[in-house]
Amino acid sequence: MIRFENVTKFYGETPVLDDVTLNIERGNQVGLLGPGGAGKSLLVKIACGLVSPDLGTVTVNERDLGSLGPVELAEHRFQIGMLFQNYALFDYMTVGENIAFPLRQEGKLDELEIRNRVEDLLHKVDLPGIERNFPNELSGGMKKRVTFARAVVRNPDLLFYDDPTAGLDPVTSSKIFNLLEKVREDKNKTSIVITHDVLGVRDICDRFIVMDRGRILFRGDRQAIEDCDIKLVRQFWEGSSDG
Amino acid sequence: MPFREVSEIARMLLLTVFYCVRRPIRWSEVIRQGYDIGNRSLVFVVAVLGFLGMILIFQSAYQAQQIVGDLQMLGALFLQLLFREFAPTVTALMIATRVGTGIAAEIGSMVVTEQVDALRMNNADPVQYLVVPRFISGVAMTFLLSTLAVVVCFLSGMWIASVAYDVNPSTFYNTSMLEWGDFIAFCMKATAYGVAIPVIACHAGLSAFGGSEGVGWATTKSVVNCSLAIVFLDFLLSGLAFVFLFS
Repeated sequence: MIRFENVTKFYGETPVLDDVTLNIERGNQVGLLGPGGAGKSLLVKIACGLVSPDLGTVTVNERDLGSLGPVELAEHRFQIGMLFQNYALFDYMTVGENIAFPLRQEGKLDELEIRNRVEDLLHKVDLPGIERNFPNELSGGMKKRVTFARAVVRNPDLLFYDDPTAGLDPVTSSKIFNLLEKVREDKNKTSIVITHDVLGVRDICDRFIVMDRGRILFRGDRQAIEDCDIKLVRQFWEGSSDG
Repeated sequence: MPFREVSEIARMLLLTVFYCVRRPIRWSEVIRQGYDIGNRSLVFVVAVLGFLGMILIFQSAYQAQQIVGDLQMLGALFLQLLFREFAPTVTALMIATRVGTGIAAEIGSMVVTEQVDALRMNNADPVQYLVVPRFISGVAMTFLLSTLAVVVCFLSGMWIASVAYDVNPSTFYNTSMLEWGDFIAFCMKATAYGVAIPVIACHAGLSAFGGSEGVGWATTKSVVNCSLAIVFLDFLLSGLAFVFLFS
């Protein structure tokens, strides 16, 4: 489904992704863990085609992103649902317009169907009746759920969640992880969850990847990560500063 | 501006023109941006051009009195100067400061909060979505504000000439020096500035990075690049006008 081959990206002289080779199978929900600055968000942005790697190739659904033209690349991006770390809600649009935006861009549904879909999604994320509010009137947790709704509104097969619970209280985090769990029930969907919240992500992912300083430190399933004796992986998994 | 930046701006301009021709254009956003640009700059342009008109006439009438002692042609020369040079260029510099910074800050904030990435993820090209409406309304509003600037500046100059030098308004209002070339030069300059300001400001905003520091950097870059572009275009178009229109 998604394949990174020897992907390297430099910012100046420093490699922020260093020879990353990785394969993510269709239907998997992958937890991407690692300390800040490890290159997790960058890896996902490369898979989206928002950033080009300096070296290496990225293949998504058998298509080499490096060989795509601007139009094909835009089409590729449109197949992906993305929950951004900084919400990325359009602040000049209402909540309803934000969620409806991908559907309006797609142009397949009429306004009544779009409105119904938005209302339905807002119920699902437990935020009914806020269509007319603007993003700046919402709390962080509400914004995350709205951006989640926008990411899934077109029901894409490929979903990336960039730190979906950053800065949220445990109750709201739990609500977000429940939403991610529901998406996972659909076996056709492939998703990557970038998070520092290991406790929350433990039960909702099939596989885990741990990155550090632009390199893949670990990849495997839950059993493998529990048995892993790499110090940083253990620290992350157990949430302690002791190896 | 380094060569790379100029080529990036030129590329963005071409892409903007391409999207203007290809369509669809978000006309509601064009109107909103037009209202924003016009409304935000109206008082600023009227106040500054009003005072500048008075200052210019007061000083030039004083000089003219010293040298030739006759103020009959003061209004005619002033009107020519306004059309050829002063009104479009000063208005453009003011729009670059007032509106260009606003555009750069708004788009820069969208970049650092990942809103521009969200647009890209939803099949919306930032140039088509953000730059085109600002471009169309920028061209229209720069033209309208420059025309308003001529009127305000001339009227304020007429008033000070009447009050301070006893020049009759009917003597001051003299269009005998105006030629078609002056109107053409005015239109060329107003249009060129109207094209340059939104494109340069949007380019500065879209090249923002990091956090609030990046937005600040983008706004500064917008003012500097817009001012440089206006002065350069003024020089170029004035030269062309003298060669092809006034010689």
